[in-house]
Amino acid sequence: MNQLKTPENGYQSRICTSSLRLLAWSGAWLAATALMKFGPKFLWNRASVLTLLAVGLDVAVGVGMILANKTYIEQLDELQQKVYLNALGITAGVAVIVGVPFSVMGLYHVISFHAEIWHLLLLMGLTFMFSIAYGNWRYR
Amino acid sequence: MKNRLKVLRAERNWTQAELAGALDVSRQTINAIETGKFDPSLPLAFRAARLFGLRIEEIFHDEDRSSLATEIK
Repeated sequence: MNQLKTPENGYQSRICTSSLRLLAWSGAWLAATALMKFGPKFLWNRASVLTLLAVGLDVAVGVGMILANKTYIEQLDELQQKVYLNALGITAGVAVIVGVPFSVMGLYHVISFHAEIWHLLLLMGLTFMFSIAYGNWRYR
Repeated sequence: MKNRLKVLRAERNWTQAELAGALDVSRQTINAIETGKFDPSLPLAFRAARLFGLRIEEIFHDEDRSSLATEIK
């Protein structure tokens, strides 16, 4: 049997590292967004300077999360990239196709509740997760 | 595109995980290539050819090639 040489810093190890980095940035962004959303009301009594600082922090951490996501995609192998990019494409499509009519329905009170951006983010998150699961099932 | 990856791997007693490690891809990718669900890129095909010490066309071949040759005749 021929022994195979496996690189020391192999694929699984690299993906594990970049997944953890992306998870950390996503968690930080979530925390920064929560601070921006609830801080003015519960922590600093709507002080404009602190609110602006919280917005700046949220944007800065958001940029970090985007860069971590970019690095993560670059680290994936070609099949995983295909699955990931397909899922991103489906998510972007669903966001536009559902988001615009949803907003119009909210505008003309066709739906009983107010159309919030959080509804769209939730839909995008669920669509992305299902698309990734479908892609992995398809190429299992 | 068809390929002989599974046969070549079995001849050498390599597992999918070992081959994946040597080619720097996931085990899922090796499985998808072996089952014909996914066609590798040219750089990955070259890496596989180098690893097995074969030419690319000895591992991968176009399913339509024979029918195309018949049509040309």
